[in-house]
Amino acid sequence: MTTATTQAERPRTAERSRAAAPAAKRRAAKRRAPHRVERRGAFILMAPYLLLFIVAAAIPIGYAFWISLQKAPTLVNPQTGFGGIESFVTVVTDYRFFGTFVNIFTVMIIWLPIMILGIVAMALLIHASPGRFGGAMRFVYYIPGALAGIANFVLWVYLLNPSQSPIAFLWQDLGMTTLKEVVTTENLPLILTAMLFFQGLGTWIVIVNGGLNGIPDEIFEAAALDGANAWQLAWRVKLPLIRPWIGYAALMNLAYGFQLFLEPYLLRQISSGSIDSEWAPTQLGYAFAFTNRNFPAAAAMSIILLVITLAIGIVIVFRSGLFGESEEKAR
Amino acid sequence: MKTTRFLSASAGVAAIAAAALVLSGCAAGDAAESSTQTDSGGKITVWVDPPRVPAAEAFQEAYPDIEIDVVQIDGTVGGKTVKQSFANFDSAGSGWPDAIFFPSNDDIAWATSSSSNYAADLTDLLPDVIEGYDPAVLSFCDIDGQIRCLRNDAAPDVFWYNKAFFDENGYTLPTTWEEYGELAVTIAEEHPGKISGFLGDAYAINRYLQGANCPTNDRVSETEAHIDLSDPNCERATELLTEMYDGGALSTQGIFDGDAAEAGVNLVMSPGAVWWGNYLFRDTWKIPAGEMSAVAPLAWEGESSPSTGNEGGGLWGVSSHITGKQLENTLTFATFVATDPRWQVDLSTGLPGYGPVQDAWLAKIEADAYFADIPSVQQAFKDAAGAVQPYAYMLYDTGSVWTEKVSPTLISGGTVPDAIDAFGEELVNQAQSVGYTVQ
Repeated sequence: MTTATTQAERPRTAERSRAAAPAAKRRAAKRRAPHRVERRGAFILMAPYLLLFIVAAAIPIGYAFWISLQKAPTLVNPQTGFGGIESFVTVVTDYRFFGTFVNIFTVMIIWLPIMILGIVAMALLIHASPGRFGGAMRFVYYIPGALAGIANFVLWVYLLNPSQSPIAFLWQDLGMTTLKEVVTTENLPLILTAMLFFQGLGTWIVIVNGGLNGIPDEIFEAAALDGANAWQLAWRVKLPLIRPWIGYAALMNLAYGFQLFLEPYLLRQISSGSIDSEWAPTQLGYAFAFTNRNFPAAAAMSIILLVITLAIGIVIVFRSGLFGESEEKAR
Repeated sequence: MKTTRFLSASAGVAAIAAAALVLSGCAAGDAAESSTQTDSGGKITVWVDPPRVPAAEAFQEAYPDIEIDVVQIDGTVGGKTVKQSFANFDSAGSGWPDAIFFPSNDDIAWATSSSSNYAADLTDLLPDVIEGYDPAVLSFCDIDGQIRCLRNDAAPDVFWYNKAFFDENGYTLPTTWEEYGELAVTIAEEHPGKISGFLGDAYAINRYLQGANCPTNDRVSETEAHIDLSDPNCERATELLTEMYDGGALSTQGIFDGDAAEAGVNLVMSPGAVWWGNYLFRDTWKIPAGEMSAVAPLAWEGESSPSTGNEGGGLWGVSSHITGKQLENTLTFATFVATDPRWQVDLSTGLPGYGPVQDAWLAKIEADAYFADIPSVQQAFKDAAGAVQPYAYMLYDTGSVWTEKVSPTLISGGTVPDAIDAFGEELVNQAQSVGYTVQ
């Protein structure tokens, strides 16, 4: 905006003060030149991202939106065509729609606070333990996170099975002797909390720890000179400074939680179908597409999820000051 | 893992949409194109679940000249991966296999629906093969008068019991369902831990509700379903199950559960498919030879003829999208897997659906000498098919609704009527969601 105005005014300004201010003109030219180069550079650097964004996000979202406005052929009426918001109505009035969100929110309410508290507490502890010990612990915590995806899931299949698990005594104390009694729809929020916590904790400790390492030493020295102890240092100095990182962790985990699909889908298989097959919103979308063969409804479900995730994301971004620091620098 | 999360903020949701949608292609208006039949010139592609791989291999050996691509698919009963693939193929108008062993019998419902129309009408393509089937066995393939699939094996429920246990303790075999319920409770009292049935698998619906002729899967037309769990036929099944469950005679496990092996050796009697004999008792639960035996299905009190369910008994389908040499070879394949003794008698664990090879398979039971009272088993296997109650495979997955509602309700402390109510309610919801008008 500023650059555009400058360019537009340039000829007049130059004419008026041709004789009077050759020095100013030189200064202005000097300022403009790097701007243009910078801009070109920025676009070149962003090009791969923009390309991926268009291919993997913009086009699919647009296409999903377009599909969601179509009319699905049903058994009764195989006609297709423009359907307006019909598929959104189908989705929202489906008898499982609100239930799936209740399910996912139940998991979030249990899992997210534990997750964020765990990440922050562990990261602060590791940061407060300098030297070899801190480094070793950082690595130990990271191990479950390295067991990505399916490997982590298979591990949990064993942990949850009372006839194979090393923690079988726990299940038996709770009166559960078969896998079907452990893996139930009621227990699912707790099971998912445990799975997601151990799987994600280590990685996020490393990331938040990175944030802590970025705080200049002078700040800690100043705090020490003022007589802050380790607790005060953590609570009053480190914590406020890593707030954007915590916000980032919350945002990413929230987005991940909203898209839970694989875990409930596979847990259903190992429990021989005793968990609801449309437990999460994504699973309901899957059922719309492949059980009901209603692609517009599946697309509508995806759009609804996108809107919710984006809305929550925007709130977190602005409340945690996630991008605040860089904006201030730019100004 | 981390990459996924970075993507997830905005692009992830969109990626899910993309996965569903890009694959869906032009969902609107391409139906006409998919009716064109193609010919590869001879090469065929068949999809089989893991237990049916030997069938395809036997075919390759028998017909080395036919070029065939065998694809092993997810065989989970009630699984969704095959459905997913076909929804995509139907939208794209290409990609279908030429023949398939459907992992769930329910699959025949979408495969013959007007939105897919995958399964070819075999009535005029394989009249001789169809002639060889007992119409009762082929009834699941008879959709509005067209034969749309071939039965791999017949899977009527017979009445299984542990003869060694009965002889030792002097119990008399029940002849009616009501007697079965009473005896089950008596045995559970006198021999704690001994059970007389399983409730937790997708076939339990067939074992008990279909066996009682309860209208859970009553297809009125392509768009109408009749579901009524308050029907007297359903109530008698609910009463029976209540009596047995409250008496400690039923397990909430399913027959396929890993944990069921332990309960399985304590099973003293149960209605169960003919394939239970080899597959469950002999191969999975390793019950010693000479113990298990079978008799004809039970009758309900006041009825003269026996009444039983049917558990699976897989279906072979042929693509309606092919023609010429490709179709000819596919029909050769379908005929082989449905009728040829090299698969049906030598390798298959289930009683052949195709009549002319049944006796050869039944003769094998004698050679195996696994069952007690072999002539009784053979007779029961032969007679059971005629007692199977009507049951149509629908676009809603009845077995999945059963496993989701019945055992979980019981495990969390509910009663059998609670469980059946929850099942009935969800069944109606599912049926309406798929698009049926429920009567």
